[in-house]
Amino acid sequence: MNEFGGVVRVRGLFKEHGQGQGLVRAVDGVDLEVPAGQMLAVMGPSGCGKSTLLHLLGGLERPSDGQVWLAGQRIDTVNERGLARLRRRSVGFVFQAFHLIEELSAAENVELPVLLAGRSARAARRRAAFLLERFGLADRTRHLPWQLSGGQRQRVAIARAMANEPLVLLADEPTGNLDTAATLDVLRIFADLRAAGQTLVVVTHDERVAATADRLVTMRDGMFVDDTQLAGRTGRLDGLIGLED
Amino acid sequence: MGRTLLIFRLVLADVRRHPAQAVMLLVSITAATAMLSLGMSLHGATETLYRQTRAATAGPDFVAFSPGSDRTATSALTSLEHAPEVVAHSGPYRQFSTTLTARGATANVVVQGAGATPGPVDRPLVTSGSWVRPGGVVVERGFANALGVHVGDHVTVAGRSLPIVGIAVTAAYTVYPWAEMGAEGPGDNSGLVWLNEPDTRALVSANLSVTSAIYLKLRDPAATQAFLDSHRASVDPNQTTTHFVTWQFMVVQDSVMLKDSQPILVIGSWLLCFLAIAGVATLAAGRAAKQTRRVGLLKAVGATPGFIAAVLLAEYLTLALLADALGLTAARLAEPALINPTASLITAAAGPTGTTIAVTTIIALAVAALTTLGPTVRALRTETVAALADTAHQPQHRAHLTRISAMLPAPLLLGLRLIARRPGRAILHACNMTATLTAIIALLMLNAQPARGYGLGGSSSLTNLKVDQGRHMMLAVTAALIILAVINTITITWTTAQEARPTMAIARTLGATPGQITAGLSVAQLLPTLPGALAGIPMGITLCLIFSAGDVTWPPAWLLFTAALAALPATAALTAVPARIAARKSVAQTLSAEAT
Repeated sequence: MNEFGGVVRVRGLFKEHGQGQGLVRAVDGVDLEVPAGQMLAVMGPSGCGKSTLLHLLGGLERPSDGQVWLAGQRIDTVNERGLARLRRRSVGFVFQAFHLIEELSAAENVELPVLLAGRSARAARRRAAFLLERFGLADRTRHLPWQLSGGQRQRVAIARAMANEPLVLLADEPTGNLDTAATLDVLRIFADLRAAGQTLVVVTHDERVAATADRLVTMRDGMFVDDTQLAGRTGRLDGLIGLED
Repeated sequence: MGRTLLIFRLVLADVRRHPAQAVMLLVSITAATAMLSLGMSLHGATETLYRQTRAATAGPDFVAFSPGSDRTATSALTSLEHAPEVVAHSGPYRQFSTTLTARGATANVVVQGAGATPGPVDRPLVTSGSWVRPGGVVVERGFANALGVHVGDHVTVAGRSLPIVGIAVTAAYTVYPWAEMGAEGPGDNSGLVWLNEPDTRALVSANLSVTSAIYLKLRDPAATQAFLDSHRASVDPNQTTTHFVTWQFMVVQDSVMLKDSQPILVIGSWLLCFLAIAGVATLAAGRAAKQTRRVGLLKAVGATPGFIAAVLLAEYLTLALLADALGLTAARLAEPALINPTASLITAAAGPTGTTIAVTTIIALAVAALTTLGPTVRALRTETVAALADTAHQPQHRAHLTRISAMLPAPLLLGLRLIARRPGRAILHACNMTATLTAIIALLMLNAQPARGYGLGGSSSLTNLKVDQGRHMMLAVTAALIILAVINTITITWTTAQEARPTMAIARTLGATPGQITAGLSVAQLLPTLPGALAGIPMGITLCLIFSAGDVTWPPAWLLFTAALAALPATAALTAVPARIAARKSVAQTLSAEAT
């Protein structure tokens, strides 16, 4: 039973890869609660299990043990079809490598989740136009991913993740491939989304990104080793302005 | 030497890594070259067999028939014995046209009176039992096979039951069922038996049609026409009664038995070649990205373009040569069963000729080269860093198809977008279906044609071997095409799934269910299947009409459409497994692999 009223709740989460002597415990007994509207940053060295945790939260991987709730619904017992529906409705993913579909334009990439959700082509076009304009890409709607800069591609990816108004946006190193100016653009978008009440979980190596979060969790060897509430987020974002050059 | 060894080792390593692809390449090219080799072997095969039989049986160069067995008839024939061109003769012999019954089947038969020792010309080769003796009958081998009789069985000739004492082959008559050579051209279907000359007296009293025949050996076997021109007038001034048959005519007549089979095999081999190209091209394209990366690695360690090209081409060319050898061997093994359907001639396959070997080898190499040259050249032209990054090939943006697909349910949307990624492959798949359905429709058309049996009055108690041979060949070609089409469909689905794996993984993160992904991959094959299969109907009909002589009996239209539409569930079933396996791949792993 989940009494927690937040968006994400995790209890005793384990994820193991391999077996025998090759067994690797990517996530090792993690407990986590993310209330609605919170921006949670997860930091830690490479291979500490950050991305695996994100995949488990979004139902892209199944835990070896433990429980995961999303918006009050337990998802670790849901079948693949149910997980797909859940992702469609409640989760938006943003990746370091953008993962845009190369043969689709920016607008078509953003339209895709709307279409997969069963909405009309017209509704998908409207939603894509709205989001791309909101993220400053109104003049790039017909561009293919390779015609866009890294920052623009990531903004398209965020627009796509937001296409179905998810409960939570899961971002895996969203600025890992971006320069400072593009990083700032992404952080501004995250700030806007947070201001609008969007829940975000951001895995990052970048302390500047982590500093803009409400809360910072540090991982090592699959475990949480620190959980800190941060304050004064607007000021921290403002502190990054000027670094883009 | 070191360079060759290195190429060999790299090729061997790649084959070990992709054994299924190597097997598929082998199967495709083997089937095509075997069929082509068989088709080409049929040309002239009958003549080879006839010549061998003629040599083994001292076959005549020239046969003259005269109606009746009285003095007038025989004197006309015996006048030829003394012609200066004649070096040997046998006969005249009497031959009777009557009926023979065995194992419930009745057929026309030519009964030839024979001495206990055959003459110098036409000495039938006894393949089982012994030569004629009083009270016993020798059955020509093709006829015996058709009747299903053996030495020791009894047959009823003109109402008289006789034991079979032997089975023999001869070059003095055209193959079963064309033993009735006394009339102009082959008469009604007849078998041939030999009876001891004294035993034929009973047939004289039965008042049966009788003809006299004389067998001649000429000084110059090739000069039969000149011999005929010189003596026709003296033997038969009115040119109405005596009938002459040359050995050259018999070769032509015997080869009629294989007349339907050759175009079936040759055209079948073209279709198989096409399917082989389609399959191998799909394989090559599917491996292009990996090959490009491999090229990048080889370039990075200092390999020259020539060396890299040799490595990439050597694998497919070696496999093509191996497949060619397998195809030629398979054809060589299948040839005896094919070239002598009646068994009336001595069966001794000569094997593929030099021309056949050259043609099949060129085609096998061309299939391999045509399908791998493009990806190889592209890989060689790619910059080393780009090749290592595996970013050489990006699908084109197809705005129109993308817009249309947006209006469709998710499986159709995904399927259509997969087609939009690689429209050429969809066309290839459609052509794959067209080629296969062309053969299936042609088979249905062929089976719908009425076949007059070789039994008495066209009874089907004895099978029409010529039609049967054609149908068997068509069935074999169709089966081979279906097998290749099945392999190609699975290959195309798997290749599409592999290439679209990142895209499908992204779609999964956006909420597409595994079922939708599976359905999308199937739809990507089903959409081109329908037009491809329907196009096979007119193609198959046209093919049959081109080779049909006279009236055509049409199979029911529903049968043709059912055959074409059956391609849809068949394709759905074939694509379901590879599509499902592909859809079940871990999204996280796929995206992680893509990101690195």
